[in-house]
Amino acid sequence: MQNLPNTFAALGDATRFAIVERLLNEGELSAGALQTTADISPPAISRHLKVLREAGVIEQRVDAQRRLYAVRPEAVQAISAWTMSHREFWEASLDRLEAAMKREMNLK
Amino acid sequence: MSDLIIERRFDADAATVFAYLTRPEHIAKWWGPEGMACPVLDVDLTKTGAWTSTMANADGARFKVSGVVEAVDPPRSVAFTWGWHDEADRRGPESRVTFEVTPIAEGGAVFTLTHADLPDDESAANHTEGWTSALRKIERLLA
Repeated sequence: MQNLPNTFAALGDATRFAIVERLLNEGELSAGALQTTADISPPAISRHLKVLREAGVIEQRVDAQRRLYAVRPEAVQAISAWTMSHREFWEASLDRLEAAMKREMNLK
Repeated sequence: MSDLIIERRFDADAATVFAYLTRPEHIAKWWGPEGMACPVLDVDLTKTGAWTSTMANADGARFKVSGVVEAVDPPRSVAFTWGWHDEADRRGPESRVTFEVTPIAEGGAVFTLTHADLPDDESAANHTEGWTSALRKIERLLA
């Protein structure tokens, strides 16, 4: 279960947001590869990865000697569900309602 | 809390507009944004009682929303409650939707949708700098 306030708190840091952006763009990456994202030390990057992991934004997988990180699809889904605005929902629905009525009224 | 009001003018007469807005066979034609499938659509706004709908986007993410139709006054208005469910099926904050149809003397009808008692997402977003644009960015990346 995605805790949205935690998700957003974790993403509310420029470095962590940049890490997540890279993972979304490039897919799974190792901690080593992620270090080039921002000019920060290895301990700092581990700390950021830990925060993101604890918030459920990313997940970690061990592959031989490497730790690989990826964005959790559940986190992305939760964000996208939350941001679907009611205005978008209704405006889009009414466009379809209007089209359906026009189509069927013309048939009569 | 904030309210959303959307007004549209339709060429059809009030009775037709009301039928399209409330009857299940018509609702199936317009409920939800384009591109969203609707695997569950148990929505009948012609009578009071519970309703529920589950939508799914192209990525398979599911969005469930449910409520209760509280008042129906054909061909003028319908009022129902609205609440999104989270992925554990817990129903979130409840808001209220009202459909109103008003005939226009020279023909056609005006439809007014009021979605009231919405959690004030916008003002909440303003508290965190750059947060709305951050979300837009994520959405673009996913597109």
